[in-house]
Amino acid sequence: MTDPRASRPDLMDPALVAGLGSLELIARRIVDGFMQGLHRSPRKGFSVEFAEHRTYQSGDDLRYIDWKVLARSDRWMMKMNNEDTNLRATVVLDVSKSMDWTGSAARLTKAAYAERLAAAVAYLLLHQRDAVGLIRFDDRVRSVVPPRARNVHWHRIIAALEERGNGLGSDAPGGLIRAASMIPRPGMVVLISDLLMEPVEVADALKSLAAAGHHLTVLQVMDPAERDLGVTAVEAEFQDPETLQKLAATVPEVRDAYRTAVAETIEEWRGHLSGAAASHEVVMTDQPFAIPLRRAFLNRQFLP
Amino acid sequence: MTFLSPLALLLAATVAVPLVLHLLRRKTGERVDFPALRYLLRAQREFSRTLKLRNLLLMLIRVAIVLALALAAARPVGRMIGSGHPPTALAIVLDNSLSTSVVVNGRPVLAQLKDAARDALGRAAPGDRVWLVTADGQVVGGDVGAVRGAVDRTDAFAGAGDLPAATARAVQLVQASGIPSRQVAVLTDGQASAWSRPTPLGGVTTVVFAAPGAAPRNRAVVRAVPAPPHWTPRGAVRAAISASDSVTFRVLLAGKPVARGTAAPGAEVEVRLQPAERGWLAGAVELEPDELRGDDVRWFAAHVGPPPAVAADQSAGSFARTAVDVLAQEGRVTRGSDVVIAGAEAARRPAVLFAPMQAVEIGAANRALQRAGIPWRFGAPRTGPTPVRGDGLDGVSATHWYALEPVAAAVGAVPADTLARAGGDAWAVAGDGYVLVASPLTTDATDLPVRAGWLPWLGAAIADRLGGEAGAVTEAAPGAHVVRPSWARELEWPDGTLHPVTEARPRAPVRAGVYFWRRGTARGAALVVNPEVTESDLARLGTAQLAAEFNGGPVEVNGEEARWLATVFAVGGRRALEGALLALAALLLVAEAAVTRVAPGATEEPD
Repeated sequence: MTDPRASRPDLMDPALVAGLGSLELIARRIVDGFMQGLHRSPRKGFSVEFAEHRTYQSGDDLRYIDWKVLARSDRWMMKMNNEDTNLRATVVLDVSKSMDWTGSAARLTKAAYAERLAAAVAYLLLHQRDAVGLIRFDDRVRSVVPPRARNVHWHRIIAALEERGNGLGSDAPGGLIRAASMIPRPGMVVLISDLLMEPVEVADALKSLAAAGHHLTVLQVMDPAERDLGVTAVEAEFQDPETLQKLAATVPEVRDAYRTAVAETIEEWRGHLSGAAASHEVVMTDQPFAIPLRRAFLNRQFLP
Repeated sequence: MTFLSPLALLLAATVAVPLVLHLLRRKTGERVDFPALRYLLRAQREFSRTLKLRNLLLMLIRVAIVLALALAAARPVGRMIGSGHPPTALAIVLDNSLSTSVVVNGRPVLAQLKDAARDALGRAAPGDRVWLVTADGQVVGGDVGAVRGAVDRTDAFAGAGDLPAATARAVQLVQASGIPSRQVAVLTDGQASAWSRPTPLGGVTTVVFAAPGAAPRNRAVVRAVPAPPHWTPRGAVRAAISASDSVTFRVLLAGKPVARGTAAPGAEVEVRLQPAERGWLAGAVELEPDELRGDDVRWFAAHVGPPPAVAADQSAGSFARTAVDVLAQEGRVTRGSDVVIAGAEAARRPAVLFAPMQAVEIGAANRALQRAGIPWRFGAPRTGPTPVRGDGLDGVSATHWYALEPVAAAVGAVPADTLARAGGDAWAVAGDGYVLVASPLTTDATDLPVRAGWLPWLGAAIADRLGGEAGAVTEAAPGAHVVRPSWARELEWPDGTLHPVTEARPRAPVRAGVYFWRRGTARGAALVVNPEVTESDLARLGTAQLAAEFNGGPVEVNGEEARWLATVFAVGGRRALEGALLALAALLLVAEAAVTRVAPGATEEPD
């Protein structure tokens, strides 16, 4: 039996996949591989299906009266069907300066990983004819691509992903609010960020989205070096590239405490995000793309 | 602690390295861009106190490592707690003098000293050599068990012994042992009189345990002598009693109480006796028991014989004849010719001789003295009323006398006592079988024959000086060397047993009492053994004063047994310590590694 990772880009090392071609090509290959691995779902995303009957009430649309039941039993019954409209999704992508970092030259930066992941998500949704939009933000909203379901829309998203960012801040609430304004009906919002920001404001923004009926997914992109303080220096002066704040530390001494602080912070984010009805997944930049894709859509039933 | 390579201590300066690193550690290292600084800040904030403590601990451990290595390089030699001691030669000097038998708090001081000695022996290791030297000069050496047994068997000595000599003996023993680690341990009551002369230590470390506390009050008979030694048969016992209050005493003669009385503090007492027994008698003056029992009795020996037969020669004058008549009536003398009272011109021995009444007879008198073997001659005449100074001659004066001059050839050959002096001249002298007075026995020359003290003085002179063969009475301290009379071969002990003696200078018995040298089947002389008078003075030296009595070596005096015990065998505890320091450094390195591994705030890995 051959190793599926040998033929499926979604299971390959992200850095290796990044060398296969352009962002567009990579996203297609990832999604293609990802789709091969899915079991066929019994659900259909868009079909008009009967759901139930209910008694006619004054003001109901006469087009949905079940005439056959009226003819047989002289009862005014309304025929209720499942809604058959397409999903409208928006990917909100953090392109601040903190995302443009990797702990190792052998890995993608968080921003590069997040762009490929966003492209894959968009392609996956477009592939099943959902409408996908994109919002990029750093210290402000950098670019906005409204959700569309047409195939040509894919190229606009790819073009937007290739724009520059690297602002000295992360205005995630602004991006989320902008996303809410672009999706008038309940849809799906995917926030891809390293979440190096204050959680309360983000949670408040997500709560407002959740109140509007949106399904919310937060993919927290982390470099493994951020998780483990995996820097080679023993004595180092650390500097935040966004705030330019500095801190001297002895890495072996603080490593375990650092790991504890990371774990506690992630737990705090989980608490805040669960309060906003948002799912939260930590995505490491050395993980194959299939993992965050599966985690992002696993319980949302948005997969074909 | 000393160092064999002290220059290596300079390495200790490298202790500055961890100190400087600790102080500068935050200022070193490269700059790293790190977006997740907020996590690092949180870690630093939450665990900063633990981190600081850990870093301080690490710094201290590293400083200790550097110091341990520097000290080890300096090759220290010293004592180390818990390392035991190397083979040591230890001589224990146990003060078992009479004063240590004093009971304090219901227990003799000697028992406390023996306990301390046993405790010290309990610290001995198999390689040690130990000795016990007691104040009475006994020496026991060998294994610890033998010495411990000797300690158990040690009793209080009847005398003072000689603690400086015992200490010197102990020093010799440890010096001759060949063991490099040497120590003398002295256990004493610190009696001032026992440590009255400097004790050389010969460089041997000495640790002294002085029994704590003040000495109790003590009563003692400090003098008991017969007066005269030859009783005819009348005699007296003169006693001196040391006490802070009036004390009752009694006199024993031949084991029987013959007198009792009360003595004022510091006063001398005299008890006149006329025993019925004849010959050598043992006597004692004793007090009621107190805390120090050994000096509550003091022994004496008296020889009791018949009164001397005395005749008064015409050359002595009428006063002599009258005096003999009175003494004979009192029974103090009998009439006979054993002793004569005469003028010097009729000199012989035994006799009481007076200067001739006529000045022209001086030459004849001097020749007679020479013929009689009396080493004195009459010199230039002296005149003028001059008081006479001498025992029993109070108020007597001389108006005419001759200067008594010793014969040059006899000076120093025959011992003589000067009984009285007039001006700067000897007025009355006594020697072997004679009493010689420088004035004629006339009222023109001296008022002696008309003074009240004349007859008592004459009676005492006859009894004390001319009364007959009394034999020798030897006073000795217990265990002291004495001279054996050439004719004696046996010594009769107080219990009546006879002990042969062959040495010319044997040691006196160690028990106080009266012993008699045997001449054939009879007692020929007496040996009176009593503790030294100084032993009754229980005053003690302080630790500093006692330490000052030793010289020539390190000495440490302790009044607390536990502290003293800690110093026993401590002299040999010096040994190379670099191994221990290296082990300590290794342990510190392990500890440093452990502390380095244990990072604060370690929890589970995040997802």
